[in-house]
Amino acid sequence: MESIIEKNEEIIENHYILNVRVKGRIPKITPGQFFMVRIEDREVFLRRPFTVYDQRGDLLSIMYKVRGRGTMVLSRMKKGQKLSILGPLGRGFHIGKRDFYLVIAGGIGIAGVHLLMKRIGKKAKLFYGTSSSLGVSLVKDLMDYEPVISTMDGSYGYRGDVVSSLREKIDGFLGKDLEVFACGPKEMYRSLKELLSKYGFACQILWEERMGCGMGLCFGCVVKTNDESDPEKRVCFEGPAFSLWEISL
Amino acid sequence: MGNISVELFGKKLRNPVMNASGTLGYGKEIERLWKISLLGAFVTKGLSVRPHHGNPQPRIWDLGYGMLNSIGLQNIGIKRFMEEYSQFFRRRRTPIIVNIFGFTEEEYFECARVIGHTSVVLAIEVNLSCPNVKQGGISFGKDPEVVRRIIRGIKSETDIPVIAKLSQEVKDIVEVAQAAYEGGVDGLTLINTIPGVVNDGGKFIRGGISGPFLKSFALKAVYECAKRLPIPIIGAGGIMNANDALDFFLAGAKAVQIGTATFVDPNTIPKVIKELKRRYKEGRWKRDL
Repeated sequence: MESIIEKNEEIIENHYILNVRVKGRIPKITPGQFFMVRIEDREVFLRRPFTVYDQRGDLLSIMYKVRGRGTMVLSRMKKGQKLSILGPLGRGFHIGKRDFYLVIAGGIGIAGVHLLMKRIGKKAKLFYGTSSSLGVSLVKDLMDYEPVISTMDGSYGYRGDVVSSLREKIDGFLGKDLEVFACGPKEMYRSLKELLSKYGFACQILWEERMGCGMGLCFGCVVKTNDESDPEKRVCFEGPAFSLWEISL
Repeated sequence: MGNISVELFGKKLRNPVMNASGTLGYGKEIERLWKISLLGAFVTKGLSVRPHHGNPQPRIWDLGYGMLNSIGLQNIGIKRFMEEYSQFFRRRRTPIIVNIFGFTEEEYFECARVIGHTSVVLAIEVNLSCPNVKQGGISFGKDPEVVRRIIRGIKSETDIPVIAKLSQEVKDIVEVAQAAYEGGVDGLTLINTIPGVVNDGGKFIRGGISGPFLKSFALKAVYECAKRLPIPIIGAGGIMNANDALDFFLAGAKAVQIGTATFVDPNTIPKVIKELKRRYKEGRWKRDL
């Protein structure tokens, strides 16, 4: 699909929100799905995957952190420039009919649960962890949901990581028919698994690996699971949403 | 639109365009964009006798001018592939080329036995770039004598046509192709990815390099082998558009395979087929069937 850049704005250092207007209709998006974006540059050959941050009508948003050449070139693109995008791809979060949800995001992982919060926010509590008060700007759009915010340096909200803040509050949610959704770094998933294993909640997470095609064609982005017949799952095709309990961490 | 059907191993294919092994999954995945029946033939991922785990992450490196992959031949095994997927290709009336690999010569022969005889399989494509674990990991395809022996062994196990997929990382690709021919091979796929190494944060990782820059290497292999051998050649390597494909036909290829281009634009294959039909209809591409 062709799209035109509407806005490409730096929110905090190295973190951007990109809004594009898509030509034609965007198919229905499930939170957690992603788009493959073609970045035109001499040093960038393959498309890059970005989770959907938001969508309204023909306007699609992604939030990204500059990490390598691809995102660096993307961050320099300006309003009016064309961008070839492909999606929505992958299997997003399966949202059932629970009474309540806990949504856990670490750092740029907020990009993967933003759309989810917009859909289920009224029945959810968001826990967001970031390194310092600067990172709080990434969640300002979701302040109406009164998120529990933690910072590693203690400059805002709880001092410590996001899973520790959840550990302190979790007793208040027991007894509810609830499910946990999470997006963040692998260490966050490890401590989340440790914490949640005592409670046995259902938990879906978004997994990230380097991708080649984004469509299940190349088997570049697999993750090891405990499925005996097919242990190696494609993040772009069988995921990126997986049960926390099926991933080998 | 022009009729660009082609005859290969006694069967008529809709067109001379295939995917390269390992670049179109197991065949069903792409159908959200286009029907697999658009292809002249579908080439499977590399399959082995037993299911095979792939390499750890990451498996893909973007080189800017192409990519390096170190997938590690992850696959579900031939038997399961045939059980779960052959019906799908039969329904789509799309012939399959089963790409096989082994770590010993015997494993190649076993692959051919497991496929058996089934009408949906157009040919077996033999990936000879695998490391021979009994010979210190040197790839089978480097030694013409080994190539001759493997092809002869596979031929004695099956009456399905056999294609040798060769790497250009050999002293003389024509000599290897000649050896495959003497072993009784029915066709050649030229060429596989080129072996390379990336420095991944201090860790050196081997893989196969692919992308547009491969084209000249592949074209040379096709051009030189087509002049000397009376068997059909399938050209593969760096094809990004119809112009690239046409260069391969002019160099003597009977069909082409498109691989890495699909990752950049998943509609490359349908676009190339459409453009080839247009050129043929307009009389800008003349050819013998």
